[in-house]
Amino acid sequence: MNARATKPPTDAQLIRAARGGNSTAFASLVRRYEETVYRFAFKMCRNRERAEETLQDTFINVFRKLDSFDGKSKFSTWLYTIVANNCLMRQRRRKLDDLVDPLEEFDEPYSLEKGQHRRQIPDGAETPDELLLSKELRTVLDRAIERLPLDYRAVFILRDIEGHSNEETARILTISVEATKSRLRRARAFLRDQLHPYLAADQRALE
Amino acid sequence: MNCRKVYRYICDNLDEKLDSPRCRQIRRHLDGCPECQEYLKSIKLTVKLYRAAPPPQIPAATHNRLMKVLNLELGKHGTPARKGSRACR
Repeated sequence: MNARATKPPTDAQLIRAARGGNSTAFASLVRRYEETVYRFAFKMCRNRERAEETLQDTFINVFRKLDSFDGKSKFSTWLYTIVANNCLMRQRRRKLDDLVDPLEEFDEPYSLEKGQHRRQIPDGAETPDELLLSKELRTVLDRAIERLPLDYRAVFILRDIEGHSNEETARILTISVEATKSRLRRARAFLRDQLHPYLAADQRALE
Repeated sequence: MNCRKVYRYICDNLDEKLDSPRCRQIRRHLDGCPECQEYLKSIKLTVKLYRAAPPPQIPAATHNRLMKVLNLELGKHGTPARKGSRACR
């Protein structure tokens, strides 16, 4: 038995073959990474249809730009970048960015004055009484992350859900490591505040 | 070390072990500050809940449509067909 014969080709080998017009090699790359792309697209878009559209757009872009991939970063990093750009650019096209950073206030997680530790629950957020507990958790989580602006959502997904480092996340989103950290802090604080009424109610129910 | 510094640090390094000199300062602060302890706990719980959600699986129909769009099933070469503009809204 020849061990080399059973070893799957590396990304670099598949990319080289695909560049040479080998559609089977390109299909292998698609199969290898379609779950990763779909998962990230779904988490960014929060919608199956949009995730599928982004999935198709991403691999069409990969197909067209394969020659421009320099191999300095990982192929998966390049894919994440394409997905993120796809989502961010289309959203920006739809609505002009606000001049004010929407989450700037989340640099201060709570009033530091004694007795005012908890941030007030933002208007429009559910009160604990209006929420069912654990069976509603997924809905609450979904609603909270949908309210998170896409720039911040991207950082939170890549860092906290997908488990990338600050440096890798910065590379994917082509932002600085400092910007990554800052957005992550604000995103976590925002989500924590969105979930707080639910979590407080849940905790009381467990006591 | 005040609460604001602690907040920034614990949020940057949620999963790191607190063993550097700076971390020992943070830990000392946390030991004596129930508010920061509570805040750290709630931030960790938030992240944990999102991590716990099962990742979405790609539906078979979505995979099939992708391969069709890319013309890979037919082994065609050239620019893949594409329907309309795609949006991530």
